[in-house]
Amino acid sequence: MKLLEYEAKDIFKKYGIPVAKGFVVKKTDCDGTGAVINTGIERCELGEEVVIKAQVEVGGRGKAGGVVICPSGDAPEKSAAMFAKEIKGVPVETILVEEKLPITGEYYVSITLDRSKKAPVILFSAEGGVEIEETAKNNPGALHRVRVSPMLDDIPDFMMRELLRGAPKELAPVIKSLYRVFCKSDAILAEINPLVTTERGVYAADAKIIVDDNALGRQGISVNRDLTERERLAEDLGFSYVELDGNIGVIGNGAGLTMSTLDMIEYFGGKAANFLDVGGGADRKRVCSAVKLVSGMDGVKVIVVNLLGGITRCDEVAAGIVEAGVPQQVVVRLAGTNEAEGKKILSEKGYRMLGSMEEVVKFAVEEAD
Amino acid sequence: MIYGDKNTGVIVQGATGRQGAFHIDLMNEYAESVGGKGVVAGVTPGKGGQEVHGVPVYNSVREALLEHDASVSVLFVPGFAAGDSIMEAAYNGLDLVVAITEHIPVHDTIKAISYAEIEGCSVIGPNCPGTMSPGELKLGIMPAQLAMRGNVGVISRSGTLTYEVVNELSRAGIGQSTIVGIGGDPVIGETFVDVIERFDKDPETKAVVLIGEVGGNLEEEGASYSNLPLVTYIAGISAPPEKRMGHAGAIVAGGEGDARSKISRLESMGITVAKKPSDIPVLIRELL
Repeated sequence: MKLLEYEAKDIFKKYGIPVAKGFVVKKTDCDGTGAVINTGIERCELGEEVVIKAQVEVGGRGKAGGVVICPSGDAPEKSAAMFAKEIKGVPVETILVEEKLPITGEYYVSITLDRSKKAPVILFSAEGGVEIEETAKNNPGALHRVRVSPMLDDIPDFMMRELLRGAPKELAPVIKSLYRVFCKSDAILAEINPLVTTERGVYAADAKIIVDDNALGRQGISVNRDLTERERLAEDLGFSYVELDGNIGVIGNGAGLTMSTLDMIEYFGGKAANFLDVGGGADRKRVCSAVKLVSGMDGVKVIVVNLLGGITRCDEVAAGIVEAGVPQQVVVRLAGTNEAEGKKILSEKGYRMLGSMEEVVKFAVEEAD
Repeated sequence: MIYGDKNTGVIVQGATGRQGAFHIDLMNEYAESVGGKGVVAGVTPGKGGQEVHGVPVYNSVREALLEHDASVSVLFVPGFAAGDSIMEAAYNGLDLVVAITEHIPVHDTIKAISYAEIEGCSVIGPNCPGTMSPGELKLGIMPAQLAMRGNVGVISRSGTLTYEVVNELSRAGIGQSTIVGIGGDPVIGETFVDVIERFDKDPETKAVVLIGEVGGNLEEEGASYSNLPLVTYIAGISAPPEKRMGHAGAIVAGGEGDARSKISRLESMGITVAKKPSDIPVLIRELL
């Protein structure tokens, strides 16, 4: 789950990474007089110029108008304007008001996981503040990279020298702290862009942390904000679910088989409305709620159920489909454990069954047309 | 057989849980049908002295190994404790851990895998169905009735899609040497590269089916290592960016790891890519 900048900066502070002075304001806290903003600026001693930053989870926020620099006196007006905005389609509910740092140099640092080396990898560039993808493409030599063994709890000095090369040594403690943040926060990404130098020292001018969804619980996060409401409902029911914009509902078991069913729909010229993986060992109750969930989506004309029974029993699946009794046509492919019993239940109720996933998808695409 | 045979002794960590107990029974049913050794002991801390389907349960891997001869562990312990259990198996000298468990925090996974490597222990998974060599050994949860002994190796990041492909192969009369589900997490122990290296050295394997999906570039890495004829299939052509398609590892992020670019990279390496799972048997037969 992506953290907002101010949430990430709160974590940074705990690990001793300096951030600009500032405060957070919610849209609901503002009464239109600007009193909250003025009080905040005074209390935090933000100085003559401030930066107003929309707290939205989108990339390229700066270019989309989500960051405004203005004299402190204009902050109430500029904040109100920010609250009225949508940044890349996301309404602004929270802003961060910060002092304007007297920046002398901008750098980039990020830590992520290298899948093939199975270890954290640290990227550093002396060209911060810009889109790092551009640097990687146009000037790959400017991007320095080291891989840290998961058995180490700190970045060895030689790696730090390899990362920084000519860049100021003062950046090293911050990068080391960021590594601790990465490990202790169960992050799959920890990034500072830009990491800045000033006459007062080094600061994280921005902050980005993505927490591993499998570790939200132990990080004290109870709700995954990255999910839509229906996706969250699906998660509560134990499904993996992704909303798409076609008209064929898809229910499968196993991520690969379900994805492959989606691909087959595209192959035959149709469009899937969703991806729903009921997971292993789904019983009739779970299948019933899966069918109902997909049926409730706007524009679903037909529902494909593609199930390969292993731990999952086909008779349970069949009973769940019948129990859901949704208005759309449900076409089914069942194979594996208790296949005969499952097929009997469905055929008695007049459900359409086909022998292979190819056949069932082809039929559904024709029906949806 | 790249991970063991009939004579391989197996322990199950997380033996007394619902999944653990259920699959001890299925694994031993299979071992019995092929004359194999099967699961000789279970491990659940605090539950030592119990029995699960006739298999004795111990409090630790160390205690189990004092009484039984085993070289492999199959892991069903819950996500929060799974990293620790992998390390316990490695510390006690086992050669292989098959981690079925899903939802292991990835920082636990990287530590456990790194530690296991130091101890000389291989890890399959996590979040995987396991591996089987038809007629010899089943480690994990694969439905055994779909498989058939033969000379095609199968490697896959996805469970049910593996079963689908194995089913298609068997129906076409093409048997499998070993089937390996390497798991759907972003970081896994045995990667395509590792399994393909094993298949290359395996006298039984004459061709390989590699089943991949969106996310990362492990498929291309693996395929480039292979000396054996290879057919690949990549799921997720229709996966939208930044959305996790069921597996934690199946995500197209920052424009990387999408199916189309994976497929075109594989094709540019001269590797056959199947358009749909049902095309795989025909394509494999052409290569054999």
